[in-house]
Amino acid sequence: MILYIGLALSAGLLISLSRQINGRLSLSTSPLQASFWNHLVGFVALLAVGLAVGGLWPEGLKDAPWHAYIGGPIGVIFVAAGSWLIARIGAVSTALLVIGGQMVSGVVVDLWQGVPGALWARSLGVVLILAGMVLIQSRAKSREA
Amino acid sequence: MADEAVTPAGRPVDYLAAFATGGLMTLMISFNGEMARYTTPLFSSLTAHGTGTVAAVVFLLLLRRGGTVAAGGRAPLWAYLGGICGAVTVMMSGVTVNTALALSGTLALGLVGQVLFGLAADRWGLFGMPRRMPSARDMAALGLIVAGSILIIFLGGGPE
Repeated sequence: MILYIGLALSAGLLISLSRQINGRLSLSTSPLQASFWNHLVGFVALLAVGLAVGGLWPEGLKDAPWHAYIGGPIGVIFVAAGSWLIARIGAVSTALLVIGGQMVSGVVVDLWQGVPGALWARSLGVVLILAGMVLIQSRAKSREA
Repeated sequence: MADEAVTPAGRPVDYLAAFATGGLMTLMISFNGEMARYTTPLFSSLTAHGTGTVAAVVFLLLLRRGGTVAAGGRAPLWAYLGGICGAVTVMMSGVTVNTALALSGTLALGLVGQVLFGLAADRWGLFGMPRRMPSARDMAALGLIVAGSILIIFLGGGPE
């Protein structure tokens, strides 16, 4: 179990690490170019794993709907935005606000799709996140003045 | 004070953009998850990186501007390897969601990992990025956002 906890923590560390590295690349190139390299290098790495493990052309692929393919293009904007933001508001603020946005939009989607869950927990969670957002950006506002 | 002066604090609109980016993440996970259901998590990530590479080329061609010189000088070679982290993350998460941690535990621990690395990265300006000391206000905001997220993940119906 300790191993899996370490693994799940490391997965989080790596998300921030890749944003840090892509942020550095975007300083020398541009956020969009950093996103291009991120995707190309990731593709080559995953292709190597796929070739080693096998199953590169899974059976179910022909049944996948068109929207199963658009996560990639959305990811390009996501990575470019992260690379751009990290140089401006820092690593912690970027991570916190992206997580907050992910959680709040997740609640909206869940409510829309009727996914069961405690309404009080969802509401309180959203309120806490929004309060954190207001607090963290108020520093920016006071600096700007 | 001296440390804080290293970088500008950003504008409020930057923070709003970061929040909106989180919404993109929800969409991305949902579409990639759809592909993973029809195929495998590995194939889903491979496809996302492949279609993403093509999309990035298209965007770069559409937005091409001549003569823009970036301020950061020549990028070190390691700066091109950010994509490796993403590829490894997919495999790690693919393992932990199928243990007792499930998706909620994987998400919650991942969130903690992201924030811890972010704190260290800002504190020491890791990987050639600007150094920033988190203020007391930043730490309070951190507590609020992490608490709210954990609440949603474990009690809000969240992923399960």
